[in-house]
Amino acid sequence: MPSADDLPHLLACVTLRDRAAFERLYRATCGHLFSVSFRILRNESRADEVLQEAYVNIWHNAGAYNAGAGTPMTWMINIVRNKSIDLLRSRRTESETTSPLDDDTPEIADDAAGDPQQLMSNSLVKARIDDCMSALPAVQRQALALAYYRGMVHTDIAQALSAPLGTAKGWVRRGLEQLRSCLEAAGVSGL
Amino acid sequence: MNYLLPERLDRLAREYALGTLAGRARRRFERVLAASPAATMAVQTWQQRLAVLDGANVALAPPVGNWTAIQQRLFPPAQAPAAAPRGFLQGLLGVLSGRALGGVLAGVIACAVFLRLQPGVAGLETQGDKLPESYVGLLQDASGKPVVVASSRRHGDVLTVKVLQPIAIPPGRVAELWALPKNGAPFPVGTVPAKGSARIELYEPSEKVFSSVQDLGVTFEPAQAAPGAKPSTPFVLTGHCVKVW
Repeated sequence: MPSADDLPHLLACVTLRDRAAFERLYRATCGHLFSVSFRILRNESRADEVLQEAYVNIWHNAGAYNAGAGTPMTWMINIVRNKSIDLLRSRRTESETTSPLDDDTPEIADDAAGDPQQLMSNSLVKARIDDCMSALPAVQRQALALAYYRGMVHTDIAQALSAPLGTAKGWVRRGLEQLRSCLEAAGVSGL
Repeated sequence: MNYLLPERLDRLAREYALGTLAGRARRRFERVLAASPAATMAVQTWQQRLAVLDGANVALAPPVGNWTAIQQRLFPPAQAPAAAPRGFLQGLLGVLSGRALGGVLAGVIACAVFLRLQPGVAGLETQGDKLPESYVGLLQDASGKPVVVASSRRHGDVLTVKVLQPIAIPPGRVAELWALPKNGAPFPVGTVPAKGSARIELYEPSEKVFSSVQDLGVTFEPAQAAPGAKPSTPFVLTGHCVKVW
């Protein structure tokens, strides 16, 4: 994660149309946000496109950021995640109804996007809730990781883990419930 | 369905934040979010919880040119020359290839020729000889006479309207400009003056407002239409909204 210290100030300056602050915000966050988009889309040019749209959106809507609703990085991550998810699914709808113009082979090795389970494991350690989350069976953590890091919907997860749809839904739900209770037990404020 | 029942809201908020809420359910919930602070707060709470899953994210450098492209989209005249657009005729043909409508062709070409000759009327002056990437509409009356040119740079947030022939707006009415999406209800864009020109500030970037808009239209309304309003009278001017790039 980039240093979060300056981000609220930079975002406030962007609200005032400060281009230098906008560039500093970009330099501080682009690598992280590109990674978020790439691990969902697994296509460099589409992640590039999403990142451009996201920063255009951030420039125009910096004033909509509400400090009470999370950090600037959380706000920006969710702009990127939502745009990536929308693009992923619009392309899927397109490919169901039209002939493909290009193949969906990732342009960068999957390794660059990070293994979802490893990413989740490292993140839980960093948040110091790995012990608590280990109460969850591995397959349930995996279901949660595929949803969050890959933008998969329940049917994708069921297929990827060779499970009935209802089971996959239950795994994701229990994963989220466990995450909530682990954060509460860890005393993470505001959650 | 009452989306705001606590248990239902929590389920929808967590599925939306995670991304597993999909398709029409996702779009419906986004409309709820736009109107409900409680729903927004529920989603933000889940987004904060899920943020811990990004704690060990490894940064990846974006492709070379990403920052330049963002600058070009946001600040084309000041930061850098606009990206070289495709040939103007090629752009037009790309738009028209799927539409075998003679009227569209005639209207668009008339509009394009008009703008090529007088780009200033629509606020489309450029440093060179090429039109910038823009959304353009030429609205005609029932007799086919061009009355209004509307244009907005693709990545801009202002729509410029130029009235070519005075509009006889009935007393106590306003001429409301509507965007008509390919699949969806018309939505109001702003009001058009009886003569002269006007700048309409868009509530979102042009690309987002007009990307799925196929036609534009003008009705005479009792007052300026509020967001979400629908036309209450028949269209007096209509025309196609064309992507010029």
